[in-house]
Amino acid sequence: MTDSARIFFNDEPIPARPDDTVASALFRHGRRIFGRSFKYHRPRGLLCAAGRCPNCLVNVDGVPNVRACTTPVRDGMKVAHQNAWPSLDFDLMASTQLLGWAMPVGFYYKTFTRRWMWKLAEPLIRRVAGLGVIQGTPADAPPSYEHLHQRADVAVVGGGPAGLAAAAAAAGAGAQVVLIDDQTKLGGHLRFLRRIDEEISDLIDSKEAIKGGRGNEVAGRLEAAVREFPNVKVLNQATAFGLYEGRLLGILQDRRLIHLRAGKLIVATGTYEVPLVFENNDLPGVMLSSAVQRLINVHELKLGDAAAVVSHEEDGGAVAEDLRASGVRIAAVVPPSDVRRVKGRRRVRSLLTRRAEIACDLVVVRGPRVPDAALLSQAGAKLVWDDEAGAFLPASLPDFAAAAGRVTGDTSLRGALIRGRCAGLEAAGAPRGPADDEPFREPLRSPAPLHHPLSREGKAFVCYCEDQTVRDLEDAMVEGFEEIETLKRYTTATMGPCQGKMCQLPSIGICARRKDVAPGAVGTTTSRPPVAPVPLGALAGPHLHHPVKRTPMHELHERFGCVWTDMGEWKRPLYYTKDKNAPMRACVEAEYRAVRERAGMIDLSTLGKLDVAGTDAPKLLDKVYTNRFSDLKVGRARYAVICDEAGVILDDGTISRAAPDRYFITTTTGNIEFVQQWLEWWAAGTGMCVHVTNVTGGFAAVNVAGPKARDLLRKVTKVDLGPKAFPYMGCTEGEVAGVPCFLMRLGFVGETGWEVHFPAEYGEYLWDTFLEAGREFDVWPFGVEAQRLLRLEKRHVIVGVDTDATSTPIGADLAWVAKMDKDDFIGKAGIARARGRPARERLVGFVLQDESIPEDGSAIARDGKPVGRITSVRFSPAHGKAVGLAWVPADMADPGREIDIHLSGRFARAKIVADPFYDPKGERQKR
Amino acid sequence: MSFLLKCPNCGDRSVYEFRFGGKLKPRPAADATEGEWLRYSYEHENAAGPQREWWYHRLGCRQWFFAVRDTCANSVEATFFPEEGA
Ligand code: FES
Ligand SMILES: [Zn+2]
Repeated sequence: MTDSARIFFNDEPIPARPDDTVASALFRHGRRIFGRSFKYHRPRGLLCAAGRCPNCLVNVDGVPNVRACTTPVRDGMKVAHQNAWPSLDFDLMASTQLLGWAMPVGFYYKTFTRRWMWKLAEPLIRRVAGLGVIQGTPADAPPSYEHLHQRADVAVVGGGPAGLAAAAAAAGAGAQVVLIDDQTKLGGHLRFLRRIDEEISDLIDSKEAIKGGRGNEVAGRLEAAVREFPNVKVLNQATAFGLYEGRLLGILQDRRLIHLRAGKLIVATGTYEVPLVFENNDLPGVMLSSAVQRLINVHELKLGDAAAVVSHEEDGGAVAEDLRASGVRIAAVVPPSDVRRVKGRRRVRSLLTRRAEIACDLVVVRGPRVPDAALLSQAGAKLVWDDEAGAFLPASLPDFAAAAGRVTGDTSLRGALIRGRCAGLEAAGAPRGPADDEPFREPLRSPAPLHHPLSREGKAFVCYCEDQTVRDLEDAMVEGFEEIETLKRYTTATMGPCQGKMCQLPSIGICARRKDVAPGAVGTTTSRPPVAPVPLGALAGPHLHHPVKRTPMHELHERFGCVWTDMGEWKRPLYYTKDKNAPMRACVEAEYRAVRERAGMIDLSTLGKLDVAGTDAPKLLDKVYTNRFSDLKVGRARYAVICDEAGVILDDGTISRAAPDRYFITTTTGNIEFVQQWLEWWAAGTGMCVHVTNVTGGFAAVNVAGPKARDLLRKVTKVDLGPKAFPYMGCTEGEVAGVPCFLMRLGFVGETGWEVHFPAEYGEYLWDTFLEAGREFDVWPFGVEAQRLLRLEKRHVIVGVDTDATSTPIGADLAWVAKMDKDDFIGKAGIARARGRPARERLVGFVLQDESIPEDGSAIARDGKPVGRITSVRFSPAHGKAVGLAWVPADMADPGREIDIHLSGRFARAKIVADPFYDPKGERQKR
Repeated sequence: MSFLLKCPNCGDRSVYEFRFGGKLKPRPAADATEGEWLRYSYEHENAAGPQREWWYHRLGCRQWFFAVRDTCANSVEATFFPEEGA
């Protein structure tokens, strides 16, 4: 194999082979220290080489916390170290370990008992402790993650022999299969076995015979056999990080988060090896045997010159053979109980045993094997301690889940293939084959993680992520944190990036030893998703922009110099300005004057619009709205309020009767969805003949209002707009400038005016037509702010601004909208209740007595204490003073009474008035 | 909350497509006592076990329907339109 790629490590170019991972390329180039530990900044090297420990976290192309050992190289990739300063090999912050005595277990809980202490210490701690940092500004952030939603009949997690057999069998039986594996290549541990002698082709549906040979090759052939199936989708380098409700598997693959729903789940996640606990077991050069085998047999690395193998097997087992074959001398094979400590500063120099000091540059640890049963446990399986296996094994699996391979506690290849195939057939609903019930062939026998008492001086690490030693855990137990769940929370052991993979078993072991019970009696900590760290960006998903709704006249407003405001998803003109520097108040007042003195026009296309049709439409509206609509005459419109059962106002608008069985409803801009669902809800299951159609987007609307509105509209329509023919609160269909329109004569702003609704595609045309026709009257477009002022002068409330989640029509001075003589309507009981009892608060109108202009939300005070609040207040050009609406205690609500408004540091006097502030008799809108 | 809900119209969909309408409660008669109305408006039982609930397929066919859901297991036993009784 030749080098053909180049990566950069801290800007230094490093040659790499195409099959390399970042870790194997760096190792081949001589790098031994891959990271610095979380707290003490101790040097750390490759430990598991399988993506399960925290030791090789690096920054790749700007993304922090990427595991070097499972990330394949890509030409030009930029890799950088993290959590070390100035460099990995010489980290000044490593001096923190000299202060280890100052950071006892439970440091945070014991030290930061006052807020100010944490404030002082936090910046320092943040600098010293931690994982990678996020670089740059949000603008340089890597592209966002995408989310995919997928389905499958069978999901197989784990691409080792059992998973491959399961996937092949299920696919052969016709199922749609997704196979998820977290390594770069399928095959699991077979990849790093030097030889496989068993004949296994009878156990997997493969075209070619698979007879034996190098593990890597056999695995390659198995992988090819599975990939042959068109109905198997392989997700490799993908982590199934959690099983959620509804059999939803969360899978992270590269920059994607896949939501996979599968009918059946087969877990063939195998086992992983964890370290033995002895002093300095974290020095670079101490490696797990599985890591050693992988690096030798897959990446062809020479890991050192002389190795000490810590193993129960006298000859050191297969790993010793592999080491020898790769040219590493075996200095000694040491049983775990003989190990005393590893010596060396930045890397292994020797292994001190009970008998001797063995010079070596590599310590290979045959550690305990832990069945990777987290997903099974999330699926509902129990994890039961098995003394012989030395492991927690999954039991009582739910119907939809099956397990195969080493995760079940069987270490034989044949067993894995048979069980995998069985699980695959069963998941696909196919009959099982013969001889599929063989019991375990080679039961797992995992060594214990702890072997002899340790000295209190040295550091024997249990949790690599959080730098927790045996001593820390023992001290915590002396302090009373004896239960595994509390021990975990107090020490934070098992809570780091490895999610307990490396440290759960040793923690349980320490717990069990101190309490003198079996590990089964200690139990495991609960497995919760995610089983591996998931970047927040992956959960957040793509940076979707916010949907924006624009009215058909949007461009025209823009050209007219409009200042926008957001109303829900809609963009609405707040006011218009020809000159960007013109003050808002002047612009708004000009718009206001146009309406009061001449004519103004406002785009109302954002109003919610419903077409309610059917013979039972009157019945439905009588039930849902507080006032009565069955007696509304065709050609008439009425103000309309919706309440909930408690009598609280939910929405308001107008309802016009277009035909005996057809109404046109407007709702407030933000509430259309709600009102539509509300109407449909009350119609659901009643058998009423009624159809509710949302026509909001289909219709544009313009309100033309002002003393000259009639003259203006007369120029463009033949509809008779005379006061007799088209009275206030009348409505009709008619043609305007050749466009079929629905016209309503309403008075929200308090002047003669028509709301004209028409098909949205004529939006620009009619807007321009009105502007043109109004030129001789000096018509002016007005925005939301002028409308708020105009309606406030008329004391018209805006639901949600002047009312809140407790306002009833009684308190809001709208009692007349509730027709209590109707048999029934939604909210009748609640309104009756509000009526029958003295109101606590009332909505009142007020006029300021001096020149001050309070802000919306200002408090109303009594004896210097806040007792009420202003909901809307504006300077009223008609009054020459500010006017507004406020909620005040009922005993302060009488007209004529003076109230105090809190105004930054002082109080302003206002007087409560009963009538609208402008045209109290409402004559103008009726002209 | 990642279970699937079967819309009687559209079939199994992610629960995020739906709006939850609460437990089905018989609405008191128009002349019921104030106490009955207060209980109806403000008291929510939250009982363990299967209950009949309103759901609305917001991002689909926009229909209201019933689901019988076990509040302990969060499993849905049946879904149907109100007209379909059951
Ligand atoms: S060495 Fe890479 S995660 Fe353990
Ligand atoms: Zn539906």
